[in-house]
Amino acid sequence: MNEFSSVAGARAVNRRNSIWRKVLRKFLADRTGVAGLAAVLVYFVAALGVWCGWWGTDWADLGGSKWEAVSAAHWFGTNIIGQDIFSRAIYATSTAFEVGVVVAVLATIIGGVLGAFAGFFAGSWIDELLLWAMNVLDAIPFYLFVAAVAYSLAGSPYAMHVAMITSFWIGTGRLVRGEVIKLRNMEYIEAAYAIGLSRFMIIFRHILPNTSHILLVQASIAFVSAIKAEVILSFLGIGIRDGMSWGLMIEESTKEVLAGFYNNFIAASLLMFGLVMAFNALSDALQDAMDPRKVA
Amino acid sequence: MQYVLRKMLTGIPLILGVTLVSFALMVYFGPDMTYQLLGKNPTAEQIIEVRHQLGYDQSFIQRYLAYLTELIRLDFGNSSSGEPVRSLLAKTIPVSLILILPGFLLGHILGVLLALAAAFWRGRWADKLIMAIAVIGMSVSFLIVIIAFQILLCSSDGLNLFPVRGWNVQSLPDYLSYIAVPTLATTFVALGYETRFYRSVFVEEMTRDYVRTARAFGLSSRRIFFRSIFKNCLIPIITRVMFSIPQVAIGGSLLIESYFGIPGIGKATYEAIITGDQPVLKAVVSLTAILFVFVMTLNDILYRAVDPRVSLK
Repeated sequence: MNEFSSVAGARAVNRRNSIWRKVLRKFLADRTGVAGLAAVLVYFVAALGVWCGWWGTDWADLGGSKWEAVSAAHWFGTNIIGQDIFSRAIYATSTAFEVGVVVAVLATIIGGVLGAFAGFFAGSWIDELLLWAMNVLDAIPFYLFVAAVAYSLAGSPYAMHVAMITSFWIGTGRLVRGEVIKLRNMEYIEAAYAIGLSRFMIIFRHILPNTSHILLVQASIAFVSAIKAEVILSFLGIGIRDGMSWGLMIEESTKEVLAGFYNNFIAASLLMFGLVMAFNALSDALQDAMDPRKVA
Repeated sequence: MQYVLRKMLTGIPLILGVTLVSFALMVYFGPDMTYQLLGKNPTAEQIIEVRHQLGYDQSFIQRYLAYLTELIRLDFGNSSSGEPVRSLLAKTIPVSLILILPGFLLGHILGVLLALAAAFWRGRWADKLIMAIAVIGMSVSFLIVIIAFQILLCSSDGLNLFPVRGWNVQSLPDYLSYIAVPTLATTFVALGYETRFYRSVFVEEMTRDYVRTARAFGLSSRRIFFRSIFKNCLIPIITRVMFSIPQVAIGGSLLIESYFGIPGIGKATYEAIITGDQPVLKAVVSLTAILFVFVMTLNDILYRAVDPRVSLK
């Protein structure tokens, strides 16, 4: 065997034992987690169809009469003004994904970067400042904060997103900070200094990737929290402004349940419950697979 | 005592930060109140005068300092309905407290108990059952739980046991019947999260080396569990309970109160949000911040009480 092939062989072995492979193997062995992932994908296809205009396009049409029962034309019946509940529920799925993904991605990026800076410069004024900012934002009640942001953005449809991102990055930030404090004293970081890498390079190239297990799990938690918060905020009238969401459907249904018509309420609640449940299962499985310290 | 004072002092930057953020969001970039205070067809002089009264012609710093002095003197002024904010708070806060307290306590106590059971029988069917129910509980939206309980327990389609909404408390039975459904809903929602959190705390403690040692010495599981593990878990439990106080005080009651039409601080806040009633919002935000600092201090003192190794310096 020549030298070249042994290097390639070692690489193959490395790849087989890489951390991500182990995570994948562990994840695939977790039946609840895989089922959760499958359910999330089904929801995602439903949302994708709305974005591509395959279905859910007639969510605002007044196609039927008031409170029609379940039928072939209206799978979940119609609401108080004759709109098809199935289309609305499907359209709301895409709204939920939009809110969830936007908030989860941005909150995780901000939390990861700021948390890494705070941890890397722990003890310095940068860390103090970031910790202060985290505490301040933590001390403001969430719903009040959303309302205040909605005001200052003068009714912008993204006020809710901005408010959620501003409050959801904190949890990630704190966890990443703690992890980075541990990482920055490791030998490989010292080695990175020794070969003359800049601090910027060390943080982004060598420290942040090592917190990816935290980031992934936190993103999945942020996704679920964003969907749940959207429902309550839309219900209170400070969430989604144009379009349709599960929260708006539930808000609409509170007038209907008093009259004994439950279709709208049940459709929105069950769909939302399914997605949140699936994502919780997925997020749990991710945590089990990726956190070496977690004991079940 | 000295320690408490010092700890409270370190809370000052936090309170300054919260007031700064709330000032910037709600007053400086907040809605322009000029035209709400003016009648129809105001003259240019009237506009200038009202803007001057509201301080819109001053700089950011000047206005922030004015805002701060109002806070320090606890002078929140009058709400937009003309009622002094202080009397509004005095009227609504007790209602919220008696409304939220039973659910808050039940949620944490039952959470700890269920988590103890799950951790004690870790990996067996009881554990699996409790944890499966906890995940389901976590996945139902608070709003859906409230509406569902209301349909089941208050409407003529359901059991029709309790009043649908409102707050007309004259006696203890009245009180119990009005808080029943809100309490059930808050407990139900809290239980999923609390059980999972507390179980993970217990389980982490159970895998420590000293537990194995104690077992090797022949101590019974029950004895180890309640003598050592539970005691060592008190710190995370206390932290959890304490830090949920500020959130529950406003966040939890906002939805419950506005949904059930209960005249507490949450509903007052919600109405202030809807109508842009700044004096009320100002008071609520700053009180919550103060509560937050207070809770952090109390938390540290409780640590000391539970764990003698912790020194208050």
